[in-house]
Amino acid sequence: VTSKVRAQHGLQLLLRVLRNRDDLAGLTPADWDALLPAAEHAKLSARLAADAEHLGLADGLPDWARDRLISSHIRGNEFERLVRWEIDRIHRALLPVGVRPVFLKGAGYLAAGLACASGRVVLDIDILVPEADLARAQAALVQHGWQFEPLDAYDERYYREWMHELPPLRHQERGVMLDLHHAILPRTGRLQPDSRILLGRTVTYGGAAVLCPTHMVLHAAVHLFYDGPPAIRDIADIDGLLRHFATAEADFWAALVRDARELGLARPAFYALRYAQRLVGTPIPTGLWTSVAGAAPAGPVAHLMDALVDASLHAGTGGVAALSSFALFVRSHWLRMPPLMLARHLVRKAVVK
Amino acid sequence: VTLADLPPDTLRRQLRRQGLRLRIGPFVARVASSMAAIETSLATLYAHHDVEPGQDGAHFTLRVDPPRTLRRFVRRQVQVTFDGHEPFLPLPWQMAAPMLEAALNWCVGSFAHRFVVIHAATLALGGRALLMPAPPGSGKSTLCAALMCRGWRLLSDEFALLDPASGTLQPIPRPVALKGPSIALLRAWSADAWLGPEVDNNEGERVSYMRPPLESVRASATRAVPGWIVIPKFEAGAPPIVEAMSRARTVMHLADNSFNYNLHGRNGFESLASIVDRAPCVTLRYSGLEDGVQTIDRLVSKSSR
Repeated sequence: VTSKVRAQHGLQLLLRVLRNRDDLAGLTPADWDALLPAAEHAKLSARLAADAEHLGLADGLPDWARDRLISSHIRGNEFERLVRWEIDRIHRALLPVGVRPVFLKGAGYLAAGLACASGRVVLDIDILVPEADLARAQAALVQHGWQFEPLDAYDERYYREWMHELPPLRHQERGVMLDLHHAILPRTGRLQPDSRILLGRTVTYGGAAVLCPTHMVLHAAVHLFYDGPPAIRDIADIDGLLRHFATAEADFWAALVRDARELGLARPAFYALRYAQRLVGTPIPTGLWTSVAGAAPAGPVAHLMDALVDASLHAGTGGVAALSSFALFVRSHWLRMPPLMLARHLVRKAVVK
Repeated sequence: VTLADLPPDTLRRQLRRQGLRLRIGPFVARVASSMAAIETSLATLYAHHDVEPGQDGAHFTLRVDPPRTLRRFVRRQVQVTFDGHEPFLPLPWQMAAPMLEAALNWCVGSFAHRFVVIHAATLALGGRALLMPAPPGSGKSTLCAALMCRGWRLLSDEFALLDPASGTLQPIPRPVALKGPSIALLRAWSADAWLGPEVDNNEGERVSYMRPPLESVRASATRAVPGWIVIPKFEAGAPPIVEAMSRARTVMHLADNSFNYNLHGRNGFESLASIVDRAPCVTLRYSGLEDGVQTIDRLVSKSSR
């Protein structure tokens, strides 16, 4: 079996077991051999370990498969510990200067006690603060040991003038990265969700503020195609959020549609629902599609997106996948910047790299 | 079946196609390569290791080959892929064998979290283990190789794999890396030592790997309990000096040299503490190999009395 065939098989299996966890019980050693690297690469190995443990599969597996799951599980626990500690440290820096940060993405899921946060690989912490508090937050973080990563003049300007976040900060002692946002999308982009609405409806769990359920889903949705083809981990996040909130929150779906329109994020919301259902079978109420029909792209565009997503995920490697991925990458930047700026940016990135 | 039992053409076929599945202590490494240097290096340095039957999976899947970029027409290089991805930068092709060893080290450091992994040379006498936790350059591999030639069983010259549940040390015998002047020292030390060819490594040092003895590889499943901790420090011209180290400082030293004790949380800390409960710790400054080995012998016979 060549590594390319194994990689494709692994990707298919990963999507299948995300759709239906019980399918893990019927896998052969050859399946595990393909699935484990795919899950590792997708940053979902701790999730896989938790699912396998839930099904009581560990004892029946070959030692190499069991050991890798145990190793992922242990590392996943550490990510949880690390994020809780970072939340504590960030609060210690910001609360005294009157800034209450809103924890986004993985840190937010963990603070909210969501199951999909468990064992999630976290490489950086993302926080949102009001733009007016940005300078104060930055000064307080620097005073508490965070430092900006050195950047060249172009990247510095890219972040400061055009982006919705400051250049990444790294803590000098702990090494953990922190992204300080004042919005969830770039200033230069076509979509401009109003941060005041997001900040006005946050929810607090155990002292940590996070986006409200619908905003949390919408934030995950805008990032689904943010850097090219959807990452399977992002699909898994959206799936986990939707499944959780659909049962935990009254009238969740209606609120999601309403808030998506309010923030001007109906299109990304449509894509998130569509691909979560298509790729991992997220249960979406059938009635919902009529209420988001207005947000769907024109027929040919929808078909093109489907084809690009399928090709970029399914072929795994190879020319068609690379081309599809590149098309989605350009599209993601198209949404971030006006055309001329995009052209300059891509040329620069191509020349520099 | 050990690798030495495998007919050369079978070895080559497995390396070129699905990969050779080598049992290395608690792990199965699946190595694929089309390079003659890798074939020779494995056939000699891993001669005593078992080859796993069948085409099952592995803990670590590595491929060692020249990268398929245009650069190959200008400069021959070698690239190691892990699980089909490329976590390492390519190196000059002569470094293929050291690069495979470095990649295996990286695998253990990244995916062996079932164990508390400490950067230490580890050997055993009877059922008790000697740990020499130290950063590179302290001479721990050289001392380790020298002790190995004097009847100690090799667990690893690089890793102490501590099982947090039982507090025992799991062997992972692999070729011992000797660098620079240590190569000639070891050749003079033992006529029986089998050393591979000398190549330059990434840091510009000469490196040669010493094959682990058959008995050590055969006893790969036999764990040992921590018995002694010696923190070696090579110091040119110094007479051997032994100083006791407190249990608290020893735990901190083990933590500094651990890859992942933090991942185990409280369990990790307590595992390290359990080592110092069983094993006294000393620092050893030495300049001569004979001095170092004799000092360790004295320490061991004193505490075994």
